Amino acid sequence: MSGKDWGIAIVLLILGLLIGYFAVGPGKTITTTVTQTSVKTVTVTQTAGAPPPKTTTTQTTPPKKYADTIVIGVTDKVSDLDPANAYDFYTWEVFNNIGEGPFKYKPGTTELIKGIIEDYEVQEGGKVYILKLRKNLKFADGTPCTAKDLKWSIDRVARIEGDPAWFVLDFVNKTEVIDDYTLKIVLNQPVAFYPAVLAVPTYFPIPPDKYPADEISSDNTAGSVGPYKITKWVRDQVLILEANPYYYGEKPKTPKVIVKFYKDATTLRLALESGEIDIAWRTLNPTDIKDLTKKPDIQVIEGKGSFIRYIVFNTKIKPFDNKKVRQALAAALDRKAITERVFLGTVDPLYSLVPMGMWSHIDAFKEKYGEANIELAKKLLKEAGYSVSNKLKVELWYTPSHYGDTEADVAALIKEAWEKTGMVEVTVKSAEWSTYLELTRKGQLPVTLYGWYPDYIDPDNYLFPFLHTGSNRWLGEPYSNPDLDKILERAQVSLDQKERERLYKQAQQILADDAPIVPIFQGKLYVAAKKNVHGIVLDPIMLLRYYLIYKEAGS
Amino acid sequence: MSLRAYVITRILMTIPMILILLTLVFLVMRVLPGNPVIAIVGMKASPEYIKKLEHQLGLDKPLWQQYLDYLGNLLRGDLGRSMIWGKRPVIQEIMDHFPATLELTIGGFLVSVLLGLATGMLAGIRSGGKVDASMRIYSIVVYSLFIPLLGMMLQLVFGVWLHMLPVGGRIDPGMEPPSMTGLYVLDSIISLKMDSLLNSLAHLALPSLTLGLVLSGIYTRLVRSSLMEVLGQDFIRACKARGLPGRAILFKHALKNALIPILTMMGLQFALLLAGAVLTETTFSWPGMGTFLVERITYRDFTTIQGAIVFYALFVALVSLIVDLVYAYVDPRIRY
Repeated sequence: MSGKDWGIAIVLLILGLLIGYFAVGPGKTITTTVTQTSVKTVTVTQTAGAPPPKTTTTQTTPPKKYADTIVIGVTDKVSDLDPANAYDFYTWEVFNNIGEGPFKYKPGTTELIKGIIEDYEVQEGGKVYILKLRKNLKFADGTPCTAKDLKWSIDRVARIEGDPAWFVLDFVNKTEVIDDYTLKIVLNQPVAFYPAVLAVPTYFPIPPDKYPADEISSDNTAGSVGPYKITKWVRDQVLILEANPYYYGEKPKTPKVIVKFYKDATTLRLALESGEIDIAWRTLNPTDIKDLTKKPDIQVIEGKGSFIRYIVFNTKIKPFDNKKVRQALAAALDRKAITERVFLGTVDPLYSLVPMGMWSHIDAFKEKYGEANIELAKKLLKEAGYSVSNKLKVELWYTPSHYGDTEADVAALIKEAWEKTGMVEVTVKSAEWSTYLELTRKGQLPVTLYGWYPDYIDPDNYLFPFLHTGSNRWLGEPYSNPDLDKILERAQVSLDQKERERLYKQAQQILADDAPIVPIFQGKLYVAAKKNVHGIVLDPIMLLRYYLIYKEAGS
Repeated sequence: MSLRAYVITRILMTIPMILILLTLVFLVMRVLPGNPVIAIVGMKASPEYIKKLEHQLGLDKPLWQQYLDYLGNLLRGDLGRSMIWGKRPVIQEIMDHFPATLELTIGGFLVSVLLGLATGMLAGIRSGGKVDASMRIYSIVVYSLFIPLLGMMLQLVFGVWLHMLPVGGRIDPGMEPPSMTGLYVLDSIISLKMDSLLNSLAHLALPSLTLGLVLSGIYTRLVRSSLMEVLGQDFIRACKARGLPGRAILFKHALKNALIPILTMMGLQFALLLAGAVLTETTFSWPGMGTFLVERITYRDFTTIQGAIVFYALFVALVSLIVDLVYAYVDPRIRY
């Protein structure tokens, strides 16, 4: 190649870069003038007398001019745009922005408030719910939403029997339309936390003329009755939401929200830095979060999450049927090493299955075992018949990608902590998600690592599925304690909040004593956003409300 | 054999090829531990619900019956429905992701061939000198680059520091051209949408450069050695003796002959690129087949994986047929 050829190559390269620059360039901001004098400061409240959850909100004094569009980046995926089959956190987030159920959470709190209902009555000791719908409720296309539509939507969930159908099938006996705006729901038995169940997207009304009656409609963009409607949806690429003109409530602060889907957390971070997105949401890497806090034009907002991670002992497999062995391993666990070394402080050590910030939470494991209590662990192991020469052999299983790339490190640090006793020998093994689930369900894995995202915000959801006999199906139903069963059953139906709190505290103490499951940490939520973005509310509900977010125009 | 007979034979040969591949994939997926239903419903489903789903998906039937059912559907041109997320038709899933992969493959392929040819020719002509040495170093360095690392470097420089090119995605929301082929660049040209064309090219630039740069190293070495061999042959000496200009000797005679082994490599490389661009797709959030298939394998989505294998096999057979036909053009001695 001659010098001339090199010249041509360089010109072509520059031309390519120029094309890129003019094609993409720095993001243009279209602005609109919206005058608003004040925004309510979000108050954190709790339904019971427990300490309030830590909640983070950004500044509360909005500027006079808002940008018309906000771009949010996520590494999550949308599963089915159909409430009858959607059962994952991100799709639920989308539904919470395009729809609303009979109840919803007050932003920044775990307090349930009325959603699409203007009133409700609880009859027959909690067995019957009479829901009175708002009169001005309309779907995104302007057609009115009545009690008939809500009944159709709930019955459809039961008929299709998709993944989240149990929210209806396990609780509801029948639904009955009283009049255009009144729906009666009869339950199989009273359920103390049923209003929390009525807040999940499975109970959102959807337009009967837009959704098939007996089939799942995965890419349906008809939406619901929420603040936004879907105007564009390209699977795994982009979701565009625009303000629903028929929404009964306050209009969203930003009329248009673009959600871009990324495959990689680092690319998500780079997209924020390059200005392609305004907000980097779920889920940034711990290192990226730490790094972004140092950037002058970026704010990192932290909030309490309600997802937890835990160790499971299969109590049917020897030697984990021995309580002393489980207690010894629970005592030796060094949670702080995991939260600091693996997650760089982006998660908190957890000492109960009920997350911190939720009413009835107690640090049951810390009270019983302390933290990384090697001496106690040695004593318990000795009592169980183990010694330095006769070591306890543990096969610890984890799944490499489902809970993020950090999982191998979590397993390594658990091994390190247990082996510090000098009386334990840990072999770490891994299997990919589908295999891991199947083997655990068959009861073949002795010690496993799992995580839990709540279905509804109530201690019941953190205790009953794990500890009640026959409920912990995904773990191969290893644990059973009839006394604990009675406590959990009573707490489920009692309408006396104080009694429920007492029962759940008792259940956590039994859990810590028996140690069939050992909590490791509780996740925190992080959003990284440009400094000119405001109104981000992070709370234990873990869903970002796009309708509260706004961006200063022209910056 | 006439060209027509050759093409028909080649097409017929793809049938047993697909059948063997399909049978292998069918068996391997089912022998591996991991139940798709459990992977779909996750942790919280009851055993009754799992049994019901298994029945719905036909997974409770004997293996031979599942196999025959699948082949029967395939003969009717039905690739079935995905087992997860709304059970969408497999063909729709493929059509949603394949054009993105094809576009990236073409982009990466063009970059690798152009860079590889340029550097290989430079090294071949100046063999033994400093230019040759530096091109050889280039080929080793680029080939040993780790795709995500190179990708991130390019994203950082052109995306974050210079704000010249986007760091991820195929096109900006709202800029999509009317869908005809699913290839945004081509669709933009057909529909004469200049904004969309520039925007999609800008998005394609960094992933193509990443993929192409890494693979260009192979062509550099291949073109170099092939060209050196041809340049040493008698007919080149004869050309020189006749006083033909150097450029004419290189392009009209030497390169044309040197291209034959390179063409074989191009055919193989294209097929490999189609299936193997997973890392590039992940780094640039490119919504293609690579990451999509990896995810579906994790979930044991049998029907989608089988459908994609059939589709890929047909596509690779087509590409290799085209390569074979191009041979005849490049080397007139080859006849079928």
